[in-house]
Amino acid sequence: MTEVTILVENINPTLKVAHISGQLDESNVDEKIQGIYKALENAPKGLSMIFDMQGLDYMNSKSIGYLTDLYGKITELGGKVAICSAKPNILDILQVVGLTQLMQNYESIDAAKAAMPTATTPVVEPAPVAQPATTPVVEPAPVAQPATTPVVEPAPVAQPATTPVVEPAPAPVTPADPSQVTSDGAYKFES
Amino acid sequence: MEDNTKTKITITLPTNAYFMSGIRDFTLNMIKNTTNFEEKWAFRFQSVVDELCNNAIEYGSSPGSEIRITFMYAKDDYLEIDVEDTGTGKNRMKAAELQKLFDERREPAYQFTGIRGRGLVKIIGEWSDEIKFEDRAEGGLRVSVKKFLKDPRFKSGLPQKAETIVLNS
Repeated sequence: MTEVTILVENINPTLKVAHISGQLDESNVDEKIQGIYKALENAPKGLSMIFDMQGLDYMNSKSIGYLTDLYGKITELGGKVAICSAKPNILDILQVVGLTQLMQNYESIDAAKAAMPTATTPVVEPAPVAQPATTPVVEPAPVAQPATTPVVEPAPVAQPATTPVVEPAPAPVTPADPSQVTSDGAYKFES
Repeated sequence: MEDNTKTKITITLPTNAYFMSGIRDFTLNMIKNTTNFEEKWAFRFQSVVDELCNNAIEYGSSPGSEIRITFMYAKDDYLEIDVEDTGTGKNRMKAAELQKLFDERREPAYQFTGIRGRGLVKIIGEWSDEIKFEDRAEGGLRVSVKKFLKDPRFKSGLPQKAETIVLNS
């Protein structure tokens, strides 16, 4: 069996990077690609994936078939797929089969991460969006007291700070969509 | 005189994908070192040979049997690669059937949906100037592909012609 290594790294709850190195060919692809499929099991909605191909020297048509299939599965759930650091021969073959029309290639893994919907510290950002929904429920009480002590207000402010911790799971789904739209617009790579 | 010299190399290997890594290395180095094709084409033909052989292994020759690869390089003219199977594979096809399949998949409207099937048309077909399917008298198939180095009728393998694409942007 030809040597190939696939390591899947969890960057955050909605972003994984599959580091592929070696040669993906007929002798190993069916077995080795399962590592990526496994990583997608029970994936949350909006999970995105970067295929880091820096160490990949060869891929055959079946590997490309799998990549296309993975692309379909990920995007179906609202995620985004990108390639990074692919060598010229790998890009060439991806291009001839038309895959670069679906997935953008980035020169570095950092550039790819930055382009992903959830990569720009999204875990923090969705929380404030969720806060207003919960805080109004708490606020009516302090509203009754304003004349006496507006100083009481800091207390309710402190409360929402704890609630957002519960929220992050559903929250990233909402902001994922708008940011996908903007990054799709940035698909100037294809020419 | 030397320009007309043809170099022919034939390799026979068991019906097993295990050996393809070595064949790919050989193809890459042979094209890089003994032909005037630029490096990009060495990598492309590495893929073409791999795809041809994988098809022969999967469909044409049974396990324990063999496939044969022939490289023919006519200096400053063309590179031809033939891959033959024995026709003992359980999924073997006749030349006409394979030609039909190739033609169907080559239609612009054809949608590739599964994991398989892109190699013949998208890789072998795209990166060859000629492709020929023949039934062998001894049984089995011979698939021949040819890439011309200079012939203006075909896509050139020469560096100055940027007919293909953007590799880095």
